[in-house]
Amino acid sequence: MSKEAQLSIAERDFILEALRENVRLDGRQPDDYRPLNISFGEEYGHVKLQLGKTNIIVRISAEVTKPREDRPFDGLFNINLELSAMGSPAWENGRTNDIEAYATNTLDRIIRHSNALDTESLCILKGVSCWSIRADVHIIDYDGNITDAACIAIMAGLQHFRRPDAVVRDGRVIVYGVEQRVPVPLNITHKPLSVTFHTFNDSKHVIVDATLKEEQAAEGDLVIGINSAGDVCYLSKYAGAPADAMAIVNKTNVAWEKVKEINAAVDKVLQADLAKRAKIGMADESRAENDRLVQIE
Amino acid sequence: MFGPIASLSQLNRADGSASYKCPATGYSILGAVNAPIELPARRDALKPEEATVEVFVKPGTTTAGVGERYVEGILRSVLGKIVLGREKGFPRRGVVITLAIVGGENVERGDSYLTILPALLHAALLAMISASVPLSMTFSATLLGVTKSGDIVRDPSPTAAKAAVSLHVFAFSSKNHLLLNESEGRFEFDTWELVRERALSICQGVISSDGDVTMDEGTTSASLNGFIRETVEDQVYSDYAYKLDSI
Repeated sequence: MSKEAQLSIAERDFILEALRENVRLDGRQPDDYRPLNISFGEEYGHVKLQLGKTNIIVRISAEVTKPREDRPFDGLFNINLELSAMGSPAWENGRTNDIEAYATNTLDRIIRHSNALDTESLCILKGVSCWSIRADVHIIDYDGNITDAACIAIMAGLQHFRRPDAVVRDGRVIVYGVEQRVPVPLNITHKPLSVTFHTFNDSKHVIVDATLKEEQAAEGDLVIGINSAGDVCYLSKYAGAPADAMAIVNKTNVAWEKVKEINAAVDKVLQADLAKRAKIGMADESRAENDRLVQIE
Repeated sequence: MFGPIASLSQLNRADGSASYKCPATGYSILGAVNAPIELPARRDALKPEEATVEVFVKPGTTTAGVGERYVEGILRSVLGKIVLGREKGFPRRGVVITLAIVGGENVERGDSYLTILPALLHAALLAMISASVPLSMTFSATLLGVTKSGDIVRDPSPTAAKAAVSLHVFAFSSKNHLLLNESEGRFEFDTWELVRERALSICQGVISSDGDVTMDEGTTSASLNGFIRETVEDQVYSDYAYKLDSI
């Protein structure tokens, strides 16, 4: 099995007819996102994100590697998205499919190619060693709009992540452990997010953040990658029916508003989490008691 | 020592799912099971009268490699034996088990994969129960390390596991039969026997001299089999809450 169960004709008609009366299945307005819930795990850069019923885990990790020959000053940054049967029974384990290729490409273009993470700051020693940052996206529940959800989660993860401190002394690279030196946050240049729209009824109705059923009933999609400052860094009209030019201009403004809103929400959760960590860290340091470790050797 | 934490049926799309966290080793596993599911024709010709069990282990921060393939092989052979693949609706279909390592340290390439094996086994078992896959028995598994001084340590952390002389993973069925034995390192048969006895007592609880398992409230929760049982019981209790209320 490698295809999502199709919508029945009745369901499709119902969705389209409801949209003609400006009603969505879950009662949202056309420009409303589903409830967004972000939380962080124990480690730095471990993000759990829920967007309605779409559920994503992102983990950011860092390791020291050799930079590429042609770019000795740059570190490496990779986004890894692999769909597994966990997210949807239609996805086969260990096989790529269209959604995976499309989502990976979109995320690459929005986050990587727009240089959201400053890769030059990841260089430790020119041509010898640099940090390789890796974002792993696990889609554990799929109910539409994985690009937006993954984009928010990766950006939140990059802002949350702390890499170990590394210095060069006498031409040798020393990486300090998390206990030895305060780990360093990554250098984020700007915070782009993707906003996905779907068009219906000859692009008369354009909605944001479609659920899986709405995606299946849609005639076309439009992805806008934009940051809080309003710079559009990605715009894709990948497939489906043509969209009205005016709709694209209007929706870019909507997307900007959405990105500002979401970035503010992410910031709030992030600050709350970091404040909580700082408190625990202080309590740990000011403790007079010795650690009572059970001797194993 | 803290016991493990588990919960069932968290995901919406998969047929069954379970999350399992082992505080001692720090691993947190999310398991999902889709069963019975149509598999493409190329695979079901092997044993047409039975269901095919497929296991996929997805590491948290790397791409799957040799270590994952190895542990998948172990899981497939254990789980394939306990799934009743000839029940109605199962022959020629697949039982697809996906296990994602969502928390804890990565198993570095070349490190022992045994440290994570019990957590994977438990997550897979609970997910299969959540998906209502017919099983011939339940089981529980444990990891034991033997240190240089000959002490047996339960659930050693990844660093302690590296220092250990030998590592052993045992799985016992609910009827106390040995289902799986994976050992690594140098050890003698006497040590192995000691470790096996210790593992049996961890999985089954304290066994009294006449060979009976004590089934008191206190001791069952301490054993791993009791833990699996209680987790499923809690889930069934909340699933059928509407029935309890109407009585």
